[in-house]
Amino acid sequence: MKKTTRLKTAFFSKTAVPDCPICDMHGHMGPYHGLRMNRETAAEADAVLARAGIRLMVFCHHSALVAPEIGNADNIRAVRAFPRRLRAYCGVNPNYPEQVERDVASFESNSDVFVGFKLHPSMHGAPVTDARNAPAWQLAETRRLPVLLHTWGAAPTEGHPAVRRAAERYPNAKILLGHSCHGAWKEAMQLVKDFPNVYLELCAVMDERGILERFVGELGSGRIVFGTDYPWFNHHYYIGAVLGAGLGDEDCRNIFYRNAEKILKPARG
Amino acid sequence: MPVSLGFFDVNLCLGLPPRAAFRPAASARDLARAMAASGIKRGLAWHIAQREYAPQEGNRMLAAAIAGHKNLHGCWTILPPQTGEVITPGFFRRMKARGIMALRAFPALHNFLLNRAVFGRFLDEVSERRIPLLLSVEHASGGWQAIYNLLAEFPGLTLLICDTGIWNTDRYTWPLLEAYQNVYLESSLVSLEDGGLEKTVERYGAGRLVFGSGFPVRYFEAAMLAVLKADIPPGAKRKIACENIEGIIKRIRL
Repeated sequence: MKKTTRLKTAFFSKTAVPDCPICDMHGHMGPYHGLRMNRETAAEADAVLARAGIRLMVFCHHSALVAPEIGNADNIRAVRAFPRRLRAYCGVNPNYPEQVERDVASFESNSDVFVGFKLHPSMHGAPVTDARNAPAWQLAETRRLPVLLHTWGAAPTEGHPAVRRAAERYPNAKILLGHSCHGAWKEAMQLVKDFPNVYLELCAVMDERGILERFVGELGSGRIVFGTDYPWFNHHYYIGAVLGAGLGDEDCRNIFYRNAEKILKPARG
Repeated sequence: MPVSLGFFDVNLCLGLPPRAAFRPAASARDLARAMAASGIKRGLAWHIAQREYAPQEGNRMLAAAIAGHKNLHGCWTILPPQTGEVITPGFFRRMKARGIMALRAFPALHNFLLNRAVFGRFLDEVSERRIPLLLSVEHASGGWQAIYNLLAEFPGLTLLICDTGIWNTDRYTWPLLEAYQNVYLESSLVSLEDGGLEKTVERYGAGRLVFGSGFPVRYFEAAMLAVLKADIPPGAKRKIACENIEGIIKRIRL
């Protein structure tokens, strides 16, 4: 029988649960070619986050990933317009190494915007450890910044073997496995066991019962962070999924916000 | 759990799958217990054996499993009438006797075409009797082109499109909602999309969505909380949670 916890009851019965703020560590923004986004703008995101009780969402604008002409400009604009609930990952596209170097060089001057980096290896056709990503990795390593990776199975550019090479090379960067090496759950958990700087992130994990239960059963809840891929996915759906996994309240709190706070603390000063 | 919407879940599966799965509902009793623990009041269920073993045997197993469970209704899986494996004389009478309120089809897995050449008279009668057919986009429906073709040939069919897809599928579903008045979307993966419920309700009203979870693959609580917290009026939530499917069932003539 599943646990019906106080936290679950609160989320189902109240319009807001202020003592359990949520940190969404995997967001996006803007339109995207493969589907219609219901909400594209920073203003819409801010309103959605406020309504869903999301204290902070760390995102990377789609344009920063797939429109090199725009680069990180939309990230900067969005966070500066809505600084209360938004921070950004600086998007890194290794196919434009001069841009990577420029972004890394200006990272400090945009410290009100960026908390770390986002790499999407399959989108860019370059592995996590591609040499052209090195400036971003090196700054993350030095400053102990989070690096959110899109990770999937055993894919050559972004699967668990590629992540392992990155974790070996950068032991101080906080490596967030976006989608937790989707499908390669055992290997993702092994990465967490082997490297103290590796964290699992739940976007696309919560579409299926049993995975989070397995993660927490084997690893505990101290290295798992909440993420939704907003605006691809809905915060309430994902919150409900975590609450439906039958975890204890303390585990849910770790996942919803405590682990993220620890990850972001040094980066946010 | 304080949930007052009276959730009626149209997308439930019971039985033991051949591949490993996380805590499946082995029996109707297990399913009913899981529903009660999460606050689901009623459900429309199918048996995994209908897809993975054999429809005719799975149909029998489902009917036996839900017998005596007043809050569980059943779906039977269809095959081409010509082969006589499932659709035989007295089919609708047997549906009524066994508490079967809906049909499912898995044409891509069971190797047939869900079209007029194969199902002409049968699906005409299903349409006239207003028996809902459930097609899962994720599981062997044959894809969107097959669904579009089916509705072009049976425009009056009551069709519940389930498991619409992990990514937003408005580009596929909205034209169908616009063209066919008896098409409904099962809510689980619509509500997975940010703003999915709100935008669908805004454009087509709350009458075109029926609540579903996809249990045991997906969580009840995910689909429930998404409806409870959606930025739509309380009346719209009630329609999605239970009233729309209750209306569909009331209109069935068996």
